[in-house]
Amino acid sequence: MSVPSQAAGALVGPALLGKRARGRASALGLTGRIVIGIGVAIAIYLIAAPLLMLLTAALRGPQDLLPFEPGAQWTLSNLSVYAEPGLWRTVIPNTLIFAAGAVSLTFVVAFTLAWLVERTDLPARNAVFTLVLFPLLVPGVVLAIAWSFLLAPNTGWVNLALRAMLGLQGSGPLNIFSMGGLIFAQGMAQVPFVFLLLTAALRSMNPALEEASSASGASPFTTFRKITLRVLAPGLLAPLILSALITLEQFEMPLLIGLPGRTMVFSTRIFYELNPDTDLPAYGRAAALALPFLLGGMVLLYLYNLAIRSADRFVTVTGKGFRPTRFKLGAWKWPGILLVLAYGLIAAILPAVVLLWASLFGYGADLPTLASIDFKSYKELFASSKFWIAVRNTFVVAGASAALVTVIGALVSWTVLRTRMRGRGVLDFISFISLGIPSVIAGLACLLLYASLPLGLYGTVMLLIVAYSYRLAVTTRLSRAALMQIHAELEEASYMSGGAWLTTLRRVVLPLLSPALLSSFLLLFIIGFREFTLPTILQSEDNVVISVIMWHFFASNRIPQAAAVGTLIIVFVAPVIFIMRRLLQRQDDAA
Amino acid sequence: MKHLRSVWPLLVGGAVGLALASTWVSAQSEWAKRPAVQQLYEKAKAEKEVALFVPNARESDWMAKAFSERFPGIAVKASADPQYSTRLITEARAGRYSADVLSHSLGGLIEMQKRDLLGNMDWSSFDVRGSNVVLGGLAATTHNFVYTIIYARDKVDAMDLPRKWTDLIEPKWKGRMVTQAFLLPRLMGFLALEWGPQETEKWGRALIEQQGTLVVNSNSERYLRTGERVLAVAENVATSYQHKRNGINVDFLVMDLVPATQFIVAITKNAPHPNAARLLAGWYASDEGKALSEKLNNESDLRPGSRGTLFKRVNDNQSKILLEDASTMAKRAEYYKQFSGFIRGTE
Repeated sequence: MSVPSQAAGALVGPALLGKRARGRASALGLTGRIVIGIGVAIAIYLIAAPLLMLLTAALRGPQDLLPFEPGAQWTLSNLSVYAEPGLWRTVIPNTLIFAAGAVSLTFVVAFTLAWLVERTDLPARNAVFTLVLFPLLVPGVVLAIAWSFLLAPNTGWVNLALRAMLGLQGSGPLNIFSMGGLIFAQGMAQVPFVFLLLTAALRSMNPALEEASSASGASPFTTFRKITLRVLAPGLLAPLILSALITLEQFEMPLLIGLPGRTMVFSTRIFYELNPDTDLPAYGRAAALALPFLLGGMVLLYLYNLAIRSADRFVTVTGKGFRPTRFKLGAWKWPGILLVLAYGLIAAILPAVVLLWASLFGYGADLPTLASIDFKSYKELFASSKFWIAVRNTFVVAGASAALVTVIGALVSWTVLRTRMRGRGVLDFISFISLGIPSVIAGLACLLLYASLPLGLYGTVMLLIVAYSYRLAVTTRLSRAALMQIHAELEEASYMSGGAWLTTLRRVVLPLLSPALLSSFLLLFIIGFREFTLPTILQSEDNVVISVIMWHFFASNRIPQAAAVGTLIIVFVAPVIFIMRRLLQRQDDAA
Repeated sequence: MKHLRSVWPLLVGGAVGLALASTWVSAQSEWAKRPAVQQLYEKAKAEKEVALFVPNARESDWMAKAFSERFPGIAVKASADPQYSTRLITEARAGRYSADVLSHSLGGLIEMQKRDLLGNMDWSSFDVRGSNVVLGGLAATTHNFVYTIIYARDKVDAMDLPRKWTDLIEPKWKGRMVTQAFLLPRLMGFLALEWGPQETEKWGRALIEQQGTLVVNSNSERYLRTGERVLAVAENVATSYQHKRNGINVDFLVMDLVPATQFIVAITKNAPHPNAARLLAGWYASDEGKALSEKLNNESDLRPGSRGTLFKRVNDNQSKILLEDASTMAKRAEYYKQFSGFIRGTE
């Protein structure tokens, strides 16, 4: 049994922390220093180009020149975007309401589902895990379309049913094209992302603390409030902050559901600067509008660090025994199953039906017959060599970039948390704010950099791997939260027993971090599979990926073909999720 | 039999029309037999491929196939991205040149022209009329983006259909229309040239605020198909044909004013495959290329002297064509920038 968190904190004073850090520094050895040095250098390299491009673009003008062109000058004129009254009157208030609503909804649903899957005896947990992650596989465009099928004011299926039941006339009563609709759509779309982050935290938590609370007579609610929430704080704060930033950055739902409802938020405003009424994208104004993401990121990181300043308070995995146990739901099993089914229906089954339907019949409202089923879209894709090249490229790019980011991100987290390396705060900061850099800015930075450098990367698959790998924040937040739950005494015991740094990392740290790292890999792999902004900017004949093919079909109104690609993305990625879940399960069983 | 008899004249008419059209196409392709063009083809074949940049894959799909059939031995490698200018300008800064032929709207290639990235081309070798050569000889016109209203045929009575743009403000269309945030301001830019900016803005505000028109950022297909909306305002005529091909029962209207954005083709100054680039661009701008563009991709040419079917229909309807040209382009752009604020909701 592990020691309670407060007791662990009481044992570790600042002086001891310093000695431990020095001890670890000496245990690093030359190999450790080289590995960490390379890892840190790669991390900085991956983020520096898009970050510098963002800052440069924000301060270069005029608007009809690209930031790096001759004639462009340093200027503050792009900041004039903040003088527009509409921004303060409409966009910012809308954004605050939207972000607060969507993140709250996401968090309540994701936490409940994650707790059910990781901490209870809910049946078919592997299947539920895959089901919850399903919306992450479905392109946001399709999710938005699926929900507008359900909730469009005139012909939405739910509205038709409600009007028939209640004898109402006209349109409504529900309307997806509204602020409420936007919050619902974004909130539900974000659930899998936060769910994945929360499951990692919940898996690493030692339930002995909750058991001790219950044994002392505390009610389940008191235990949840005073033990579970407090011990999980780093694991909860990281997803909360990440989901807030991602909600603010996402374009798809605000464009497809917010715009028809006249709900303008920050990301749509940036989108319009990148797709302006002038002939070139207004990168300067878009970058200027993206600056608050960086500032917001700084504030959120500060608050995060403030909240978790005594890291050892959150240690739950120590050298003593640790075995995850599950809460028995008993009669509460059925409400749990109902919740999962309701979520599955709205977020997974309906979009899947819409996607499959569209791939076979287009977006039709009429009921088709069996004879009208047409596999033409699939046949067309399977016969295309370009499609299979794109499939191969997508697996390579999504897999390699996810692996690279996971490894580098974990190294960065370890360095920030376990060493006294000078500048580690800056490293933590820049890895964190990578999420605040719009992908179109990152794409432009890579385009400029690799078109100029004689490295032979331009137009290749390798270029996409590098470009995709700037989003270190996902791994650093996940692995840092997990690392904080692992007591340093485990590593020290290894050093004391003569284990070298690499051996300690491989045999002690990595096995304990693996749930977080697997979650990170999976998340980045799925994000990479769906990414279309970066490969569109950096596309060539040789590095085409599936999402670009899908987007081209969608943009040219070839909906069945686009839906067929979307369906195949799910077919390709779903087994990856299932296999990874089995891997995690096997680890549990071994424990 | 009675039914067949009524269809018979149509079939005969269609066959005659097709025969005439094919005769016309082959007659217009005399340029292909000229020694200069033959030599160009031989040199182009040695280059084996040509890199075509278009804003939308719909444009390149038919062209790649048709060109390779017309001129075997040259593969068309197409890239579709509405903002490819940014990429090409960035590449040029780094001394890289990946594009041979560019197709875009007149405004879409202005930034390339400003930076001296377009190449010279002898359009007369392909019998392209002088009036269809633009940007100081650097580009030639291909087709028009013709603004229209697409309607769901089974959900609107033909007698009720609007004939004028101002008809859309009638109460009967309230809550029944959809439009695109990108296209509506551009349509209004044309209308403002006729009506003046104040009147046009009043119309646009009524369309959105009073009529509750859904402003979307994607195509209108699903709104028409599901019946959520029955009129799609500020759409392209070619899109109507595409919806039909996708099995939706729609048609388009020829309104009192027919605004038409001009699409053009050009070659790049540092084209990696200069001969293949000239051949593809010349062929696309020729009457043969335009006829194929209409036949295979339902694109229309509304410029004076056009032989396209839409041009004839618009004239029969006595509608006024509002063509984009260099003299009105700047004014129209000024107007649509002014309108886009309230359409997008950014003001």
